[in-house]
Amino acid sequence: MAATATPEIQPGVIQTTEDKSKSGLEPGYLVICWNDPVNFMDYVTHVFQVVFGWPRKKAEFHMLQVHEQGKSVLARESMEKAEHYVHQLQKYSLHATMERDE
Amino acid sequence: MKLIQATKSRLVFQLGQREELLLLRVLSLYPCVPPAHRQLSKGGRLPEPEANQRLLDEALAEHRADNKKQLQALLADQRRFTHMETGAQLSLSPAQVDWVLQVLNDVRVGSWVQLGSPEELAVGLNEKTSPHVRAMEMAGYFQAQFLEALGGGT
Repeated sequence: MAATATPEIQPGVIQTTEDKSKSGLEPGYLVICWNDPVNFMDYVTHVFQVVFGWPRKKAEFHMLQVHEQGKSVLARESMEKAEHYVHQLQKYSLHATMERDE
Repeated sequence: MKLIQATKSRLVFQLGQREELLLLRVLSLYPCVPPAHRQLSKGGRLPEPEANQRLLDEALAEHRADNKKQLQALLADQRRFTHMETGAQLSLSPAQVDWVLQVLNDVRVGSWVQLGSPEELAVGLNEKTSPHVRAMEMAGYFQAQFLEALGGGT
């Protein structure tokens, strides 16, 4: 991911919500964003805020995960919702996919 | 290009004459990302993968057509830019800035794809690569300015 500015957050201190729904019995689909060298870090943060309605710090946390670990699981949802999010992220030209949560 | 006025409903940018021409030139390159570039899943373990991939392709094609229409309207709208001796002022709502960012990123990512999706963005310049490198860099330049404006306003 290309840098435009240095984020000011500390990774690891943000509570994410995707684990909460894992206890459900329905098969879930993971919405994953993958790293690439071309999307700006600030742009990815902006897109996460717009698509998921997240506060900036949470969006930056996931952006940094993408940047440092190669991917970030952004949500675990029903198939329809996961599809919706992937469509939204791809409209912004992010490298996002959905994968079945085994 | 710099942000000269920011309210909740409007952002006004000052551009030099060359910047205005470059911005219009970069925007006119839209769309750049090849349709086949988008994949719904990497693992391919989705039910009805072909039908779902087709849905994604159709949704993105529709979105692209809408963007193209909006872009043509923007480029044709003489009032969008207020011209002055030293350049122009561009007035956009935050939603329009978000939309322009999408268009610019399509040009940036699409140009990168045309270059073969290299891991290193410092691509050697030659007759074949230089139009894509220039488009990628110019789109990135304007993206950075718009992102800074949005970041400053939140």
